[in-house]
Amino acid sequence: MADNTSEGAPREEKEGEERDGMVARVLAWFDSRLGLSYQMLRPAPQYSINPFYWLGALATVAFVIQGVTGGIMMLYYVPDPTQAYATTQYIFQQVSYGTFLETIHLYTAYAMIMLAFMHLMRGYFVSVHKKPRELMWVTGMVMGFVTLGFGFTGYLLPWTIVSKSATDVGIGMMGALPQPVASFLTFLVVGSGSDVGELLRFYDLHVFVLPAVLLVLLVVKMYMLEAHGVSEPTTGTASLPAKKRRLIPIFPDVSFYLIELAALFGSAVILVSVIFPLNLPPEYSAALAGQYVAQPDWYFLWIYQILKVSAFEEAGLPVAISVVTLIFVALVVLPFIDRGKVRSIRDRKVYVTLGAIFVAEVAVLALWGYLTPGQVIPDETAGLVLGGTALLVTLGSVVAYKAVFGGLRSVARSRGSARAQAPSTVSTGRVSSRSAAVWTSATFVCLLTAGAFLIGDSIDEIIALRLGAPSALQSLAVSLSGLALVTLGTAFLLYRLDLGSGLIKRRVRAFEVGWRER
Amino acid sequence: MSEAEASERGTVVTERMGARIVALLLVVAATSVFMLWSVNPVGSGSESTFALFLAVDLVSVAMISYVQRAVSRESRLARAPLIAGCCFVLFLVVASLYLAN
Repeated sequence: MADNTSEGAPREEKEGEERDGMVARVLAWFDSRLGLSYQMLRPAPQYSINPFYWLGALATVAFVIQGVTGGIMMLYYVPDPTQAYATTQYIFQQVSYGTFLETIHLYTAYAMIMLAFMHLMRGYFVSVHKKPRELMWVTGMVMGFVTLGFGFTGYLLPWTIVSKSATDVGIGMMGALPQPVASFLTFLVVGSGSDVGELLRFYDLHVFVLPAVLLVLLVVKMYMLEAHGVSEPTTGTASLPAKKRRLIPIFPDVSFYLIELAALFGSAVILVSVIFPLNLPPEYSAALAGQYVAQPDWYFLWIYQILKVSAFEEAGLPVAISVVTLIFVALVVLPFIDRGKVRSIRDRKVYVTLGAIFVAEVAVLALWGYLTPGQVIPDETAGLVLGGTALLVTLGSVVAYKAVFGGLRSVARSRGSARAQAPSTVSTGRVSSRSAAVWTSATFVCLLTAGAFLIGDSIDEIIALRLGAPSALQSLAVSLSGLALVTLGTAFLLYRLDLGSGLIKRRVRAFEVGWRER
Repeated sequence: MSEAEASERGTVVTERMGARIVALLLVVAATSVFMLWSVNPVGSGSESTFALFLAVDLVSVAMISYVQRAVSRESRLARAPLIAGCCFVLFLVVASLYLAN
């Protein structure tokens, strides 16, 4: 089919000979009249028919849904502090399907941010930022910042106690930036400093400026996508079967696939909105704000949690802001740092481990921030939790690399050659590579779970000891003993993986229980 | 039976099966669209009913699209996604009827 349509002409005369179904005939009619199969867009390879290749497209679908629901809400909403809450409440209570509109608008915003983050991290792990797609990556990063800007500006608009307090926290965080930047950003989003000006600026940014910027960036990125095509698999296309490499036209195949994804995404968001409908919090007032613990929305919680570490309080705030800014800058200029030609996950251990640590730290900080609203985090606790997470992920990465790319593959290879040479000697009761993989995975999951639990428990006990509870010493001893066992178990696992791959350097007979010599 | 004949027969079966599924899904989608107009537009219960009918429509569209893709590429329809989709539609219809009452 790709061959039939790749020359760029609408299929005016071809449909009759191949298509008999009613739906196909209707589609062919539209195709011949509208020229839908005309190759305006580059055909996509079959291997890209995979949801992970279309996370950005799903984020765009979320943006479109937000545009539609937001447009309807604009008909009722008044961006003035005296009317913002009342008009939002009117949408909730009086407008047909108003609660549904508000809920869908919010949840698709959350989904858009989550999809953008997943799109970013998938791109990072499979190295889509490498030549020639460096500027696509930079454009995508700017689009990600615009998406966060959507969340930040839209959150204030209902003028509830939750939204206004969270926005004030965000604006307060801007004050720690270098003076010229802080002044410019504060002027941009707050203006003269009055509530009226602030709300109006947020509204304008949310409804006009940011959508326009995002649309322009989307067009730029789509243009570059057309120029370069979708990224190839990290292992290259040569090893793929011909069926996977075949090009398929944007219409109807890829278009229908995207319709499927979009419809399933829409139904999932609807289902979540039915199960967890949105409730409007109380209206903002200065008196009520004093009793409320301000907390940003979940996608900014990880940054907020960093700022709550006691070392970063007050005098240390510029340091924390610099650290966060550095992370974002490093992500933007990543294509110019990671310039090697290697794209395979197997050969990028350091970058992959760093990416996994980043994802784990963001998740831990966000969850931790959610559980400890308004609490200052002691330096030792922050060091233990963040350091422990990084250590655990690094350990997990080392074991995963050995399990996936090291030991077991070598075991399978050596067994394959042994089978070829002497089939009768293979069936001597040795574990097969599949059962070895299951065994390794199960041990690894148990070790990770136990390690995470024991690290958390140890931290709890240390905090209890510092607060003056001597009985915690006994529990701490138990937790540390458990951690020692987990460490021993990990060493055992690594040893056996090395044993399987034939890479073992120093023998430890006690670790070789049940292992038969070849 | 030669390989070509088997392939052709498989395509015909896929087309027939696809046409039946699409017809059934169109009936479900049309019924849910009709039901959308029958619910009270204000109120949390009726909003949930509306949302679930809308979800039924979307899942039906996704399944029709999937069938169309399989037919146009002359490949066999996989059973698992269709069964999962039908179960999901059934669940949504039952849930929406439950909420409507």
